[in-house]
Amino acid sequence: MAKRILIVDDDPDLVDTMKIVLEANGYVTGAAADTAQAMVRLREKKPDLIILDIMMRTKSEGIWFAQHLRGDTARKDIPILVLTGVNRDPEMSSTALDPELDAQFLPSDGFLEKPVDTDVLLREVARLTGS
Amino acid sequence: MDDPRHRKCEPYDTACHLARMQDWHADFESEIESLIDYLQKLSRRSREAHGECSGYYSNIVELSRAKTRFSFEVSHELKSPLAAVHNVLDILIRGYLKDDPAKRLELLRRARDRVREATTLLDDLLTLSRLEEKTARVKRVPVDIAALLGSLVEEMAEPARERDVAFTWRIGGDLPVVSANPLLLKRAFANIIDNALQYNRPGGSAELVVSRDADAVLVRLADTGLGIDEDELPLVFDLFFRGRRARAQGRREGIGLGLSLVKRIVDEHGGTIAITGRAGGGTTVTIRLPGQQGGGPSGEKNPDC
Repeated sequence: MAKRILIVDDDPDLVDTMKIVLEANGYVTGAAADTAQAMVRLREKKPDLIILDIMMRTKSEGIWFAQHLRGDTARKDIPILVLTGVNRDPEMSSTALDPELDAQFLPSDGFLEKPVDTDVLLREVARLTGS
Repeated sequence: MDDPRHRKCEPYDTACHLARMQDWHADFESEIESLIDYLQKLSRRSREAHGECSGYYSNIVELSRAKTRFSFEVSHELKSPLAAVHNVLDILIRGYLKDDPAKRLELLRRARDRVREATTLLDDLLTLSRLEEKTARVKRVPVDIAALLGSLVEEMAEPARERDVAFTWRIGGDLPVVSANPLLLKRAFANIIDNALQYNRPGGSAELVVSRDADAVLVRLADTGLGIDEDELPLVFDLFFRGRRARAQGRREGIGLGLSLVKRIVDEHGGTIAITGRAGGGTTVTIRLPGQQGGGPSGEKNPDC
């Protein structure tokens, strides 16, 4: 049975390129432009993996969504692959992503930095879906 | 005058000595009082100065934070289109979609649009930073708004057709001359027309009406687009503002600095801008530019844009 991946990202071009790669490699994909749409998709069909962009509108939106999933008994087992587009330069201001800090608040099973490397994407997806 | 301190007393005149000491004492006390008064004034002035400095200091900290935040947002806004373009090129290079030329072409078009979007953003940033330079005086000349908008709407006719939006205009003939920087004004008008076309729906419309209002020019642009929710209206002039309706539809084209730059330009010309509308019903942008008589002095030195 093909593994199903839900991509939560507000950039339609990024979503489409990821879909093309994943579908060409045998995965079934769904997409949501924000976490509200993502909740709708989740209700429709339970995915085997969620790729979550946390650099959407506000950082907290993605974090909230991931925490919400973890708190939901029916869904806490869905692995989450987080997409981040931030330069992790420690000299940056406090609004920058702090990997150590976020690890406490952002439950995730993997991190992918944008721009997404196709090989890394496929490797991580395979790892997290047990393919 | 008879200075009591220098009153001469006979050696054994106790009463005289006593009086003299009392006078000394009174003088001394009044000197002390003046001194205390002076020190209190100094202390108060010192506190006031400290208060002012604290105020300046927090302003500086706030500005510094805003600047860092701005840089962060800008780099994020630029990284997005670049990441998208990278991915499109990457998958094509790797041979994905080799059997789907139509889809390949579509992706390449989208990548090209993202590059255009990033370039627009950079142009807007440059314009904005030039406007922010306090020392720079924006060069202004007498501008015929009808002519400026007349040529602009012709340029926007094709993009409107591409998006299946009916773009119409009515430009009055008796408009007052405006003292303006034509490049900046053109940028501002192009931005709002672009918004009206981008965030519209296929089969929708956008109407531009330019008229005289006393000794000012009134530019009104109404569209049947996505509209902006009422609670977001106060935020439309924020840098990088993108309404939730636009985001929900995955609209990413024409990011730029949008309305924040338009407002900056309108302000620079002594004008006003208002955005009104209701969600789902479209948006109306109203810009009022004072004519040459009512406007500020035309610019002197420095860089033109």
